[in-house]
Amino acid sequence: MDTPLLSVRGLAKSFGGRQVLKGVDFEVRSGELVAVLGANGSGKSTTLRCVMGIAQPDAGTIAIDGQELDGLPWRQLQQARQRTAMIFQKIHLVPRRTALDNVCAGALARIPTSQSLSPLFFPRSVQQEALECLERVGLADRAFDRVGRLSGGQQQGVAVARALCQRADVVLADEPVSALDPHAAEQVMALLHDLAHRENLAVAAVLHQPDLALRHADRCIGLLNGTMAFDLPSSRLGQAELDTLYAPDRVVAA
Amino acid sequence: MSTTLPARQRPKQPLPKRPRQALRWGATAAGIAAVVVLHALAIQGTEFQPGLLVDGWKGMAAFVADAFPPDLDWEKTLKPGLEATLVTLWIGLLGTTFSVPFALLLAVLAAQTTTPHQAVYQVARAILSFFRAVPDIVFALIFVTAVGLGPFAGVLALICHNTGVMGKLWAEAMEEIDGGPQEALRTAGANRIQQLANATLPMVVPQFVGLLLYRFDVNVRSSLVLGLVGAGGIGLLINQSIKSFQFDAMLTHIIIVLVLIIAVDQLSAFIRRKLAA
Repeated sequence: MDTPLLSVRGLAKSFGGRQVLKGVDFEVRSGELVAVLGANGSGKSTTLRCVMGIAQPDAGTIAIDGQELDGLPWRQLQQARQRTAMIFQKIHLVPRRTALDNVCAGALARIPTSQSLSPLFFPRSVQQEALECLERVGLADRAFDRVGRLSGGQQQGVAVARALCQRADVVLADEPVSALDPHAAEQVMALLHDLAHRENLAVAAVLHQPDLALRHADRCIGLLNGTMAFDLPSSRLGQAELDTLYAPDRVVAA
Repeated sequence: MSTTLPARQRPKQPLPKRPRQALRWGATAAGIAAVVVLHALAIQGTEFQPGLLVDGWKGMAAFVADAFPPDLDWEKTLKPGLEATLVTLWIGLLGTTFSVPFALLLAVLAAQTTTPHQAVYQVARAILSFFRAVPDIVFALIFVTAVGLGPFAGVLALICHNTGVMGKLWAEAMEEIDGGPQEALRTAGANRIQQLANATLPMVVPQFVGLLLYRFDVNVRSSLVLGLVGAGGIGLLINQSIKSFQFDAMLTHIIIVLVLIIAVDQLSAFIRRKLAA
């Protein structure tokens, strides 16, 4: 099957008269890690937020596994969105709760409300699955530690496990390593690369570090002022392309 | 080249005048003048005359002299005092804990980050404002007409007033915490109640408990005043001893209250310290 898991076409969005996205097209296939690069304000995060449904695009189509989200009935839209999970720069876990409880929260959409008022009531099957998700990110031994006691890299690992527990096959990461030290950043990127390849997930990660993208991503997408600057396999990405993103004035002058 | 000169030998640049300095001085002077005028009006309005205090010091001295030494008679004063103090403590305790469900519900509805709808938000804010605006002593007088004199009326009064105050404090605590975990669960498909139970509330537990202890401390002191209007407890005994000119018994009761307040304060400080650790 060659249908891309995530397909974005002609995405446009403006905030208060300023056009942030002017037609963004890209695809993410299952089993690949795609890095989204771009300077501040180029529209990387807005793109992810539109795909997640946190922001409403003005135009364009978003399809998950070939199914266009626009015009879907509410119920089916929820099911389709359920297949996409988001990883945040600020991690957004509950520090006072254990890693296991935080991972279980990824499954809330499948748990009846009456059983989700406290982690004590979470179904055993969900807790079992959450433990397996922690295992997959290599943190099963920290399951009963409070998240606040874990290192930044481990916390982001727990957040990835939460996305797995949501049973998402499209994972969108918004600057997942910007708040981490270089070593932890390396580990988290290796984890995302691993998950994409081992478990056939489609992973798109907004990154501010081109070197991390070159080392871990299969493909790199460059955004410049809300338009696509390039979409290349990492092996073919060179300094010239990066310069168009981060020093457009210099490229124009040259 | 001037750039090679050491900093000390460079010609001094004249310090430029701060811009709009006169305007700032004017504004400060006007502000001070306004505060002085307000205080002059307030002194008139409250008949604040230190001279009266100096002239009448003998009355106070007699009053205090009558109160010493405190009456430490076990059967007549100390035992009833301790029992009544316990009642005061119970009023404060129940008034605080029984208002928790109401305060929690209204706080959730009255916080921008958790309210289901703007209209609900406005209504919940209005209800909280009402309970906060009516003093607990007025609630006590209302409930006395229904359930008669006694501690029960005091508990009901505190539940009402404390719901208003604690609901507002809790709502503000929820608005101030990091909304990230809530957003993360929303994108994961969790419904509103699930977001609340698994992100917002666990994030604010320390603030909630801190505010709850603070309100317990305040409510124990309020229940003293409620005793004065017939809600039982040590307040009632203090009132009675003043009315029957037993100032030495009054002093005993006040000392007991002092010990109680210090104990409650220490306890809540201890719990808050444990919670922060």
